[in-house]
Parts: sequence; structure tokens; C-alpha cells
Amino acid sequence: MASRDVVQYETPLTRGFRWFSGVFIALYLVWTLLPILVMFVSSFKDLLEAFKIPAVGDWSGVGVFFDFTPTLKHYRDLFVNLDFSRYMANSLVAAGGSAVISVILGSMAAYSLSRIDFRGKSDLFFWIISTRMAPVVAVMVPLYAIFRSLDLVGTLPGLILAYTTFNLPFAIWILKGFFDNVPYAIEEAQMVDGATRFQAFVAILPLVAPGIGAFIVLCILFAWNDFLFAAIIGSGGAKTLPVATRELVQPQNIQWGSIMAAGVVTTLPMMLLGLVIRRYLVTGLTMGAVKE
Amino acid sequence: MTDITLSPENSLRHGESLFRVRQLQDNVEARPAPSRIAEPARLNPLPSKAYFFWLMAPAIILLACISIYPFFWMIYMSLHEVDIGSATWNNFENFTKLFTDTRYLKGWALLFQYSLMCLALQIGIGVFLAVVLNGARFEKVLVTALLMPMMMAPIVAGLVWYFLYNGTFGWYHWLFQSLGLLDAKSILASPNTAMLGIVLVDVWQWTPLITLITLAGLKRVPQDQLEANMVDGASPLRNFFSVTLPNLYPVLLIAVMLRFMDNFRFIDSALVLTGGGPGNATKILPIYLFEVSFKFFKLGRGAAIALTLLVVTIILGMILVKVFDRQQTRKI
Repeated sequence: MASRDVVQYETPLTRGFRWFSGVFIALYLVWTLLPILVMFVSSFKDLLEAFKIPAVGDWSGVGVFFDFTPTLKHYRDLFVNLDFSRYMANSLVAAGGSAVISVILGSMAAYSLSRIDFRGKSDLFFWIISTRMAPVVAVMVPLYAIFRSLDLVGTLPGLILAYTTFNLPFAIWILKGFFDNVPYAIEEAQMVDGATRFQAFVAILPLVAPGIGAFIVLCILFAWNDFLFAAIIGSGGAKTLPVATRELVQPQNIQWGSIMAAGVVTTLPMMLLGLVIRRYLVTGLTMGAVKE
Repeated sequence: MTDITLSPENSLRHGESLFRVRQLQDNVEARPAPSRIAEPARLNPLPSKAYFFWLMAPAIILLACISIYPFFWMIYMSLHEVDIGSATWNNFENFTKLFTDTRYLKGWALLFQYSLMCLALQIGIGVFLAVVLNGARFEKVLVTALLMPMMMAPIVAGLVWYFLYNGTFGWYHWLFQSLGLLDAKSILASPNTAMLGIVLVDVWQWTPLITLITLAGLKRVPQDQLEANMVDGASPLRNFFSVTLPNLYPVLLIAVMLRFMDNFRFIDSALVLTGGGPGNATKILPIYLFEVSFKFFKLGRGAAIALTLLVVTIILGMILVKVFDRQQTRKI
């Protein structure tokens, strides 16, 4: 950055600020990572060990946190006794299915919207994006009534359809930005060489492929992490990981170890995927308004 | 000869065909040909808008089925008393009742309180963090570490924090107590602090987004302006407020709108943390709506509440899209 070239003399004030900012970053990191650490560590603790805590004000007692014998009991419990492998498959199918449908249909629509102009285009566009912005609970009231009459409640197709309500508009909106960046001349060149329109469309797909891949992942992330749709539309036959995790919370006898282990099972794949698409994350999470 | 520009905008604007090369070829063919010209084996089909509309159709139709159709259902339901399998007209009673429903009105107030508390903390911390991180050593690694909470399912985040807040074995509760901030009651158990409890979780999860957005904005602050200001003798603090911050306003506006709408959209973590309690201290409108519709199954009333919530969100969305458009024309 150019501003570094301007000589800036160290004054007590700037040095103080540097110190302060270092401390602030450190504190913030602790605050941000601590809950995740607690989740991971608690998932390996036996029930009684998870409840151990020092007396109020006993700062030296913090070590109790690391004082335990790790056990895989909870993970075994989840997959052997509690059918978590099926919930995981449900999550995978529902999230993956809706992501693939959304991105395929979305890229076709986004390509068209990017290439032609027609009256009412901006209205159509606003309608598309407004379906994405609608509060989940508000959308769910009529959707639940409709799905119930179609017997889609509690089935995976119903859940895939429900996730498509927010993934499809997202895909169209984001991918249009991608296609806008591909010059039309490339398709023209293809067509001059004798390609059909559809072949020309297929020919430019490699140019947007990384973006499309990233947004399949992002759609999976949104759907995987969803709770409300899964709890209402998927209840019963299509239980996903977040719902199953939530159900471990019973009024009495809360199995914290299992809940934390379920949390890890739900969270870990998405954290890894998030790192893979790190470059597209800001674009995706701001609906394309901010690019890194 | 007619113009032979190939740019799609030009030809489209006049409603003519997209692809002019063929016409040029036709013109050439129209001349007396010296010898036979072989027909190309396959001609490009004449491109038309119809082709694009067909390509668009599946997505639009599907979206209509899962958004417009339910929308009309919502209007229909909001005007009826809905029971399983039956709906009876009730003279706008669902709506008129809303005006006297204190929990509904309080739900709005709490929703705005919640959103504003979240936003104030997130913007304050997020922007400061971005400024401090910008150009720092290990910036990439640090930012990646900060991203982690955003990847977590909100429901899991809620559960983990529920554990941390727990009055008997929660580590944060122990910390708050040891610091003398709380008495024996957990933060979620007291009506005065419960709201802060759910706000903190949202702040924990989404402040990194504000930081990321601000970092992206900071990279685009014109360095020459900063330098000119510095050469003129401005202090770093002055530099921040008179150059950096004004340049950040557009991205910050986007960040604010996005978070504001997400606070309307998602209630997952609040639902597990307090579920609206204690009493009704954290019963923000979406939670109240969730209860009315899916706990008491008053779908008609729920639809009426949902409609009002939807209208407000759509108005917010319109503002957001306006901002987006301005952004894109400015090429930020």
C-alpha cells in the first residue's frame, strides 16, 4: 500500500494506539474462538467432567477446564444409538439437492437476465430478490399450509423445495453479476464459428465455473445451517442435523456432551467448506454488493 | 449497407436481431456470385428474445410457485379463521385484533430494540476491528480465524451459548459472576439482562461480517487522498474521520441494511436461548409469530402478523436495492 511510503514518526500516542489495538485483537480472538473451543472440548468430556467449574472468583481454578480424560463416548452415542448418520444423510440430500437445483436453474436464468433487456426487468429482479429477503417465519406460514395439503410436510422433496425458496433467488442474483462480467464477444466468436446459442452458453461456463462452484457450496451452507424450515417442514420424516441437535435438549437430564458432539458434527463440515470458498464469502454473504 | 455493429445493446435497443453477421452474409450473397458458394452445413438459428425467455422460464416458474402462490395464500389465510381443513371468513378480525394485541405491538418494539442493539455493537466493534486489522501482520490468518462463528449453524451457536450462560455450570456465567457483573441469576433468567444475552450471541456470530465488509471497503479508500491529507499535516485520527470514514459510508450502509434484515429473518439462536422469555422480555415479533403459528396453530392470525412483517421487510429491501444500484453505477 502506498501510504506506507509516507514516513510517519512514532509518537507516544501512536505507540499507545498500536499497543491498544494489539490487545484488542487478542481479546477479540479469545472472545470469538472461546465458544468454539468450549464446544470441541466439551464434546470429549464425560458428563460430570463437563459440569466441573471453579468457585466464583477462583481465577486459578480455570485449569479445571482442561482437567478431563477424553472420551469418544458421545460421538459413538450419536451414531450408534441415535441414528445421526441418517440425519446427516438427510441434511446432505436436502442441502445438496436444493443447491444443485438452484444453481442449475439459477445460472440459466441469470445468464438470460444478464444478456437481454426487456420492459419490467427491474421489477422482475426486485421480485426475485425480495423472495430471498422475506423473513423465514413469515414465508413459512403459508408454505406450511400448502405443503400440508400436498403431503410434502416431513419429506425430503418438501424440504428441498423449501430451501429452494431462498437459494434460487440468491443464485440468480449472484450469478447474474458473474455473467455480466463475461463479455458477450466471447459468445459471438463462438457463434461465428458455428456454435449454436446453447453451445455458446456452455462454452462460457468454464469462465464462471469457479464462481458457480463457490455458490453451490454457499447454497449448501445456507440450507445445512437452517433450522426453522427443517423444524417445521421437515419435522418427522426428514429430520436434519440442526433439528436433531435441538431435540437433544430435554427439560430434564440435558445431555451436554451429546449436544456438543452433535454441534461439532453439524459445524465442522461447514467450517471446512467455508475455508475452501473463503474468496467468495464476502461477495456471497453481502449478496454481491461488496467484492473483495 | 446497414450498420454492422455487433454490440448486443445496440441491436437490442432497436428491437432488431442480435446477430447481424448473417445479414451481412446475405448481402454478399445477394450480389451476382462469381461461382457457387457452398451453403454452410448448419446455420445459426436466428437468435431472439424468445430463446432467453425459455432459458429463464424454469427458474421463474418454480420461484412463482414457491413465492407468489404462497403469498396469495398468505393473504387468503390472513382474512380467514383457519383450522385444519377449513377456513371461515372473519371480517378482517385477524387484522383489527392486532391493534389491541399488546404482545404484537411490544414484539415490534422489542424487534427494533434488538436490531438496534445488535447493530450498534456490531458496527462499533466491527469497524474498529477492521481498521486495526487492515494491513496488520498476519491479517489473512486473523481474518480467517474470525470467520469461524459465521459458519456455525445459528441453532448450534445458540446451544453453545446456552451452555456458556448456564447458571450452574456455564463458563461465561462464572466469568460474569467473578467479575462482579451478575449475581447468582443467569443472564438469560432475568428480564433486565436477557435481551443483552441474545444480543451478545448475534454480535459474536456476525460482527466478523461487518469486519470483512469494512476491510473490503478499506482497501478501496483512495490512498492519494490519505497521503495528501497527511502531507497537509493531518493526524492519523483526523485522517480517519475526514477521509477513511466518508469513503466507508456506502459499504457500511450495505452492512447495516443486511444485518437489519437478517435480524428480522432469523430467530434460531434467540429461539433456543430464551424462546421469548423470561416473561415476554425477549419476545421479538418473529418469535411471537412463530408461537402463534406453530405452537398454537392459529394460522390465520399468524398469516396476518406475517403479512405486516413481510411488508416492512420488503420496504427495507427496496431501500437496500436502491443502495445496491447506486453502488454498482459508482463501480465500487
